[in-house]
Amino acid sequence: MEARPALSIQRSGASQLGSLGVSGGLSSSLSIPSTHLEGTYQKLPDIQQVPSERELTTRPQAHATRVPTNNGVVGHIFSSSSGFSSDLHYSSVLPNEKHSRNSPFISQSLADTASLPLSQSSSSLLPQPTIPSCCNKENSGSWCTDPDFLDFPVSTPVQSGQVENIQRSEDFSKQNDWQEWADQLITCDDALTSNWNELLVDNVTNLEPKMACQVAKPCTTMPAQNQQLPSPSVESLRVVNPSSSANNAPAKPRMRWTPELHEAFVEAVNQLGGSERATPKGVLKLMKVDGLTIYHVKSHLQKYRTARYRPESSEGSSEKKLTSMEEISSLDLKTGMGITEALRLQMEVQKRLHEQLEIQRNLQLRIEEQGRYLQMMFEKQKSGLDKLKVSSSNPENPAATSDATKEAPTKSELESSQRDHLDSGTGTVNNAKSMLERSSREMGGEDMATEAGDLEKTKARVSETSPEQAAKRSRIKE
Amino acid sequence: MKFGKRLKQQIEETFPTWRDQFLCYKELKKLIKLISSALPPTKYGKAKAEFVYMLNNEINKFNVFFMEQEEDFIICHKELQQRIKTVMDKWSSNGSRTEYTDEMAEIRNDIVDFHGEMVLLENYSNINFTGLAKILKKYDKRTGGLLRLPFIQKVLKQPFFTIDLVSKLVKECGNIIDEVLFPIEEDKEETKEQKGAIMVATEPVKGIFRNTVVALLTMEEIRRVSSTKDHFSLPPLNLPHSHLIHSFQLNSPIPIL
Repeated sequence: MEARPALSIQRSGASQLGSLGVSGGLSSSLSIPSTHLEGTYQKLPDIQQVPSERELTTRPQAHATRVPTNNGVVGHIFSSSSGFSSDLHYSSVLPNEKHSRNSPFISQSLADTASLPLSQSSSSLLPQPTIPSCCNKENSGSWCTDPDFLDFPVSTPVQSGQVENIQRSEDFSKQNDWQEWADQLITCDDALTSNWNELLVDNVTNLEPKMACQVAKPCTTMPAQNQQLPSPSVESLRVVNPSSSANNAPAKPRMRWTPELHEAFVEAVNQLGGSERATPKGVLKLMKVDGLTIYHVKSHLQKYRTARYRPESSEGSSEKKLTSMEEISSLDLKTGMGITEALRLQMEVQKRLHEQLEIQRNLQLRIEEQGRYLQMMFEKQKSGLDKLKVSSSNPENPAATSDATKEAPTKSELESSQRDHLDSGTGTVNNAKSMLERSSREMGGEDMATEAGDLEKTKARVSETSPEQAAKRSRIKE
Repeated sequence: MKFGKRLKQQIEETFPTWRDQFLCYKELKKLIKLISSALPPTKYGKAKAEFVYMLNNEINKFNVFFMEQEEDFIICHKELQQRIKTVMDKWSSNGSRTEYTDEMAEIRNDIVDFHGEMVLLENYSNINFTGLAKILKKYDKRTGGLLRLPFIQKVLKQPFFTIDLVSKLVKECGNIIDEVLFPIEEDKEETKEQKGAIMVATEPVKGIFRNTVVALLTMEEIRRVSSTKDHFSLPPLNLPHSHLIHSFQLNSPIPIL
């Protein structure tokens, strides 16, 4: 029951839902048939409620038991959704409630929770801004495609499968799954990193069977499926790994093609008499690549055909047509600038962009690597200091704590040193570096100092030396 | 809102078919604001779940689009190579120079545009990644969470950010263009300026050249010294011949930035 006040807080001023507070006064309201409570619960999170089928007509108007919300309890509820149901279980308010009585509660609330992630649906924890179509694209379908990353694939089966199950059968086992999963997510931040990793590992292994569609695992490479493939090396085959057996979903399985795979495809097509003659089935058979489905081949064949017979719009971007022959020739007429020159200029700009993007990407990778490394060091340091604190006797404690407090300032030292560096250029590189080294040594990591120093050097190089490189290039050209 | 503004401009300038494929930066920012201001700290768990859900949606969108384009590129790359080979074989022995030149010219146009499109896809990948990184940073800042680090580690491995193949294709393409199709020459700076400006002015809106220029200038802008620098920030971009690229806008009736 306490959850109700919690949920009523969500709705700004939605106190009409009543807050059956934690009090003996509740016992009367507890005699409400459970469906009534269900109805209430269902309504609660739906702030932008589209009149959904779940909205029941009964409302707890009769119970204007506006007992002031017990915020302490309320706070409890949402600290974790496992706490959600467990609070209900443990609540002193419902001491006499049978387990079964709770279950509609739990099931409904969990059902609501389950439907929370639906960005398209109305239920939401927050008054949600209207999410434009760009965010909703391929929502349900392509959900399944890559659970390899931090993902909530559970949400898809949950929202479709589990919700019904729960509503129908009050199946506790499913709820437990949900709770476990939610538990893993909604834990305190200290353990976050490790939990995320666990969750991710779990996702990859446990949740795939739940996935209703095939998964694309572009990063996994299949061992050689066959020896008939013309040129590709074994490692370069990146085919879908259909680790989930079921393929019920209408979602298109996502696959990452490679040049080698494509070459095998072309070979097969040619053997079958050309792109017009070849059929997906035939090609699939000829290619003999594990994990390749007929859908993949079909769509690829379609693209292939388009590319061959309409080379200008092979990428499907018909706007491209406009930029090539017609435009350049009109340019020619207008300015006397040769097509060649225009193209050359275009190439130059494109190359420049490519180069800069490459540099930027490498930098981003290094920065994240650095960040990860630093985080690791901080954690190591922290755990080390914690141990110190615990084990040390009183006289030593002040020393330990002062070390711990040093961490915070040194981190900000790091940040400020980097900021300084970035603002003022090479001049301060050495200063920053020494500062970094000093601060990180204080934290006990000499390696980190050199890492940090390296990264700063790279950043400096990026900012200052690229014109030199460009100058070099132009000199060479001349 | 600096990045948001830049992203918006980029999106406006991009190919129509690409426009829906970019990060919903503004919406995510709004969500963060909602999370941090509307909820008591106890509800963060669920809000975070929702936020992550949205992020994953976005990532999925990127992946799908990226892989689709990549597939197209693979096909097109092969086709262009085939065409070049065909033309060379056809005319090298017969020696009809004009026909060779004409057909080659057509291939050249296509291949340059192809190169451009691939580079723009690289840009797509990068700008979305940058946006995600910024959003995550904002999230951590506003909600005191620790979502950024682990999440971004996962993003790094996503298909849309592992662009090695596209990068390789770009380089190969560039080599083909340089060696086979273009004689090596360098224009003077002034003529380049004029030509570039003219190209921008006369190209249809959303053309490849214009797009590329926009992308470069956007990148430069985004990396200008910002107020919230930390050790995750990129240094300012030092764009060689930046003034040249900026100058392309001078005569353009449609301002780029």
